[in-house]
Amino acid sequence: MIDVRHLTRRFADVVALEDASFQVRPGEIVALLGPNGAGKTTASRIIGGILAPSEGDVLVDGLSVRTDADAVRARCGFVTDQPSLYDRMPLRAYLGFFARLYDVRDADGRAVALAKLLGLDDVLEKRLGAFSRGMRQKVAIARALVHDPPVLLLDEPATALDPEMTQVLRAFIVSLRARHRAILLTTHDLDEAQRIADRVVVLFRGRVVRTGATSELRAGARPSYRVAFAGDPAVARDALARLGLDASVLPPEDGLSAIRFATEDPRRTNPQALRALLDADLRVITVASEERTLEDAYLAILAEARK
Amino acid sequence: MKWWLIAWREIRWEVFLDRASLVRTAFFVVIPIFFVFSNRGVGPGAGGDLALVGLALQSVFFPSLGGVALIAATFSAEKENGTLVPLLAAPIRDFDIVLGKLIGMVIPVMASCAVTLAAAYALASYRYGAERVARVLTPELLYALLVVSLLYLITTGSIAMIVAARVRSSRAAQQIAGLVIAFSVTIFAGLGFASSQLADGWPLLALGVALIAFDVAALEVARRVWQRGEVIGRV
Repeated sequence: MIDVRHLTRRFADVVALEDASFQVRPGEIVALLGPNGAGKTTASRIIGGILAPSEGDVLVDGLSVRTDADAVRARCGFVTDQPSLYDRMPLRAYLGFFARLYDVRDADGRAVALAKLLGLDDVLEKRLGAFSRGMRQKVAIARALVHDPPVLLLDEPATALDPEMTQVLRAFIVSLRARHRAILLTTHDLDEAQRIADRVVVLFRGRVVRTGATSELRAGARPSYRVAFAGDPAVARDALARLGLDASVLPPEDGLSAIRFATEDPRRTNPQALRALLDADLRVITVASEERTLEDAYLAILAEARK
Repeated sequence: MKWWLIAWREIRWEVFLDRASLVRTAFFVVIPIFFVFSNRGVGPGAGGDLALVGLALQSVFFPSLGGVALIAATFSAEKENGTLVPLLAAPIRDFDIVLGKLIGMVIPVMASCAVTLAAAYALASYRYGAERVARVLTPELLYALLVVSLLYLITTGSIAMIVAARVRSSRAAQQIAGLVIAFSVTIFAGLGFASSQLADGWPLLALGVALIAFDVAALEVARRVWQRGEVIGRV
C-alpha cells in the first residue's frame, strides 16, 4: 500500500511537487499522468525512497520514507524509462548482484527463476550490452522484481518498445496486479493507462488536479454523438445551432461530411437534432455514440487546470 | 558488507573488462619502468642512491595517478548511463556505495602500483647491482612508499568522487580529475624530492601523517556531500 500524504518537494527555487496526496492499494494499478515537468518522476522517486521529501510524507506498507527509507526501498521495485544496465555483466551475474543487494537468500536461484519467468533463461550467460531494447527492458523489470516487492513503481516502462513487446509487458503488469501488488504506473501513454489502470492521478505543475477511477473519468463529460451525412456541414451546424446545440465540424470521411455534438439529454435532443438535419435537406447516413477516451478526459482536465 | 559487493562488481566487471582503463593503467605502469631502464643519472655514491629512491617513488606514484581518473570516471559514467538510479533504489547506505566504489578502484590500482614497484626493483637490481639496490631500497622504505601511495589514492579518490557526484558529465569529472592529478603531482614531486634529500626518511613519515589527516577529512566531506537526494537531483 502506498499512501502519499501532502507531499512537497523543492529543488532550489523550483517547486517540483506541491501538497500531493493519493493512495495506491494492493492489487491496484494507478496511472500517474501529467505533462512533462508535472512532477511524476519526482513523486515516484520519493515514494521509492531515493529522494527525500521537503514536506509531507509517504507511507509504504506503513513505513515512512522519512524515518525508514532503507526499509521502504527494500519494499519497492523500481523500473525507469531507460533500462540502465551494466552492459559488461552477463544476465545471471547482474540479477545475482542485485539479489544480494536486496538480501535475497538464494540469489543465484532467484536470478535463474526470474530469467525463466521473463523468457530470458537462454541468455543467462550473455552480456547485457548485446541485448535488444525489449530484452533490456525485461531485464530492468526482472531487477525490480528480484526481491519480490509488494510495491512496484514503473516509470514509463514501455518507452521505445515495439507494439508486440508493449503488449507482453502490459500483460505482465496485469499479472502482477493479480498477485496483489500495488503498482504505480507513470506514463504518457494514455492508451496504455486506459487499458490497464484501475485509477488515475493527474498531476499538473506539481499539484494533483484530479484523481479517480479510470471509468469515472471517461464517463465524466456529456455524451457526444457523431453524425455522418451528405451535404454542406455549415448548413448542418446552423440547423443544430437553432436547437441550442454547439456542433463542431469534423474532417470528411469516405466522401461524407461529419459533425459532432454533445448533449446532457440525448433521449430528448437526438430525435430533434435528426429531424432538424433532415428538414435541412441533408442525407443523414449514420448517428454514432462516441465513447470518451482517457485522452479526451485527460486533455479536458489539463485545459481546466490551465484556466 | 554490501560495500564489498559493489567493490567486487567494480573490480570483476568494470576494471578488468574496460579496455580503455586497462590501456591507461598499463601506460602508467610502463612509464616508471621505462624511466628505470633509460635513466642515466644513477651514478655511484650518495647522489645515485637518491636517484634510485626517486625512481622507486615514481614507480608507486604513477600508477596511482591513473587511479584518480578511474575513480572520477566510475561515478560520472554511472550518472550519465543512468545505472546509478537502480543502485540508489536499493536498500544500501550511501556510505556503502561510496566505500564500495572507492575500494573497487583502490584494490586494482594498488595491485598495479605493487607490480610496477616490483618490476622497477628487479630492473634496477639488474642494471645497478642487486646488492646496492637492496641496501638503498630497504623493505621498510618499499612498504612506506606503498602505504603513502595508498593514502594518496584515498585522498584524491575521495576528492574526485565528491566532484563527480556534483558534476553532470564524465568529461567535466575527467577535467577536474586532471586538475587534481596536476596539483598533486606538483605537491608530491616537491615532497618526494625533500624526502629523498634527507637520509633518515622522516619527511616520508610526515607526508604519510599529513595524508592520513587529508584522508579523514576528504572521506568525511565525501560522506556528507554524497547523499542520495543530492546525487539523484543531478542525474
